[in-house]
Amino acid sequence: MSELFDQFLIESRELLDGVGAGLLRLERTLDDKPTVNELFRAFHTLKGATALFDWPAFTHLVHAAEDLLSAVRAGEVAVTPDLIDRLFAVADQSARWVDHIETHQDLPADAGEHARRLEERLRAAPEEEGTAAGTDLPDAFGWLTTLSHEERAALRAALPPGGTLTAVAYDPDPECFFNGDDPLAFCRRIPRLALLRIEPVEPLPGPEALDPYRCLLRFRAVSAAPAADVAPVFRTAPDQVRLAPVPATLLGAPAPKPTPAAPMVVGAADMAEAILGEQRRILTLDATPAELEGRIASVARAASNVLAALGRGDEAAGVQAAAEAAHAVGRPGPLANHLATLLVAVTAAAVGAPPAEPAETRTARRALRVEPERVDRLLALVGELAVAKNRLPSLVRMAEGGDARALPRLLREVYEAVGGLSDELQDAVLRLRMLPLSTALQPLPRLVRDLSLRLGKRIELQVSGERTEADKDVLDVLGEPLIHLVRNAVDHGIEMPERRAAAGKPETGTIRIDARQDKDSVIVEISDDGGGIDPAAVRRKAVENGVIDAARAASLSDAEALPLILLPGVSTASAVTDLSGRGVGMDAVRTAVEMAGGRVEIASDLGQGTRVRLILPLTMVITPVMVVEAADGLFGIPTAAVAEVAKVPATDIRRLKHAESVVLRDRLVPVFRLRRLLDLPDGEGGAATATVLVLNLEREPVGLVVDGIRERLDAVLKPLSGVLATLRGYSGTAELGDGRLLPVINLRELL
Amino acid sequence: MPIRFDGAVARFEGACTVEEALPLSEWLAATADARLDLAGCTELHTAVLQVLMSARRPVEAGPADAFLSRWVFPSPVPGEGGARGGAAGG
Repeated sequence: MSELFDQFLIESRELLDGVGAGLLRLERTLDDKPTVNELFRAFHTLKGATALFDWPAFTHLVHAAEDLLSAVRAGEVAVTPDLIDRLFAVADQSARWVDHIETHQDLPADAGEHARRLEERLRAAPEEEGTAAGTDLPDAFGWLTTLSHEERAALRAALPPGGTLTAVAYDPDPECFFNGDDPLAFCRRIPRLALLRIEPVEPLPGPEALDPYRCLLRFRAVSAAPAADVAPVFRTAPDQVRLAPVPATLLGAPAPKPTPAAPMVVGAADMAEAILGEQRRILTLDATPAELEGRIASVARAASNVLAALGRGDEAAGVQAAAEAAHAVGRPGPLANHLATLLVAVTAAAVGAPPAEPAETRTARRALRVEPERVDRLLALVGELAVAKNRLPSLVRMAEGGDARALPRLLREVYEAVGGLSDELQDAVLRLRMLPLSTALQPLPRLVRDLSLRLGKRIELQVSGERTEADKDVLDVLGEPLIHLVRNAVDHGIEMPERRAAAGKPETGTIRIDARQDKDSVIVEISDDGGGIDPAAVRRKAVENGVIDAARAASLSDAEALPLILLPGVSTASAVTDLSGRGVGMDAVRTAVEMAGGRVEIASDLGQGTRVRLILPLTMVITPVMVVEAADGLFGIPTAAVAEVAKVPATDIRRLKHAESVVLRDRLVPVFRLRRLLDLPDGEGGAATATVLVLNLEREPVGLVVDGIRERLDAVLKPLSGVLATLRGYSGTAELGDGRLLPVINLRELL
Repeated sequence: MPIRFDGAVARFEGACTVEEALPLSEWLAATADARLDLAGCTELHTAVLQVLMSARRPVEAGPADAFLSRWVFPSPVPGEGGARGGAAGG
């Protein structure tokens, strides 16, 4: 669009990155005043930036965040983890909007609704939020009336004197495993647990028909702790849990009613259908006018949430209108009818809308920011090149004028000067593309924070060497593997605090990321002090999946067995990462790194931790290649080695014993045929002319006969992997324009 | 890995994470007389629990872990029971 618009995208993303980093700092030290100031200024600047365009929802939202921070600065509001969560929610929403704005030049249609909800959340005191969630939908607690004698007795025993029990109805999102949630682990952390029921939401099929990645269980629990202590356990899934005090009467009286059958839940649309149906049923239950009023409000809220989850948030207004109508007539009819209509609509559109993308998968385009010094250097080099060029006309005159004795020496001088400059220019241009590693590391602190909160682990992320530079393309390659490896370390590496304590380790685990440059490589090391990888388990898995045979596995040392985890079929984490929606396991990490011309090393001490080292080239090496044909196959020959292409009559190639040769420009050139070198079938039959590439390898030129020449191509060479890595004679593969792989020949080895 | 398939017995050791769910369900589907040894299990991912509940196979040895033994597998389960007690309360 306009320069102003582009500037907004860059600036707002930088501000939001700063906000994310600031919030993480604030979370560590709640009374960090400079950070509060910094966050305040960031939101203030962002507000100013959004105000330049006509996006009132955006401006209002960041304004609300700014107000809240202003109150914090004035000491009126204390910084709490909850407050930080709310500010994170604003930052995430803003980031999503910036992405949307980049593609659509405008805010999404539901921006006003989102902004309003978030603003309410910003203004609400944390306690209010807790009670609001607690009184929502008391119908979720019908099961309390079906407690057995023993259960009631146990609850009576757990009842704190003068206190109440907190009932928990936790209905995990069926897709929650994909977010890294483990509902059972949440329940484990409910303080003073007095009762836990684990129920299938629907009758479970046998293991052969079960989709193990959809959560089909729900949890009903009672805690002897107050709701305020239970709620933090479900911090990352507040929308899936409801808390309510257990009515004292329930603990005494026997319960006659059985719970109604659980609704069938299959896909997202089915789920929505089930919820809407259930809400409609709730409306038909007998109620006092006061109860009915609360019920109408909560049903309308639930229905709006379902619509939002289905991506039909714009239909929420209809629900509100129906709720108001129901409210006005004092009967549930209008809302119930509207729900019936919605049910039909939702069922008709039964192909479920894809779930909203989580903020962390956002991959903003990496803007190339160039330091002025680097441009200055480039300019200086161009100046020197002009000087070198200006020496040429006098040499031309010299050559024309006859006195050419000094010419060879002077020409060589100019050649050397230009050669040196061209090398320097290449270096300077490559440096323009160099970015600090911090751009690839930037999402990791937030990832560690969110994941460790979810999993109930305590983890410190230490990063060093983030100023190490690498080529922009290398950084792009690095991003996904880094996220994956850090996620692995959080998920599988670092143990739960209790287990760490039992093992004599500090309860807080550490993940370290060290980046450094070593000659022409960037080395990024991700290490954790977690449980480590069991080499015996890796061996077993490799044998089970037929990657190697048992005898070979047994002969491997631990250090040799460990890298097996990088091979497809051994990487035990692949299931998990498919879950997290990235589709990469350890073997994909290896593939990505090798595609960029790098390699992966792994070391682990059982019980002590794991270290993964990614070694990547500093720059993506670009090799110009010539695409040639031989026996219907295409091969690449590095152009640098080709001095000349000659077409000669086939009869000119003469055979002497086993060696062939051709005379080119009065010189006898030994000739090899690519087909023979590659063991391809001979039979080119009676072609009248032969195409000979004259190669400058060592001192003597060598001819290489090919069937034909296709094109030239600037290729990023990728090393061969797997079985192919053992093939000699190839230096790697390049990708052709149509996606086919082109093997590039290593001439030195082949000839 | 945390689940070892030892003939017809699946032995759970340590923290059984979500990635065990798929191999476990495949093994259970293929092993008619499967039995479970949960003694060494310290943590069980919900996905794995769900697979166990769907398969209803006998538990040879219950978990030593306090949370799992009290709330998830209250007693070694006879015969066809599966993960009963707390786990099948509804």
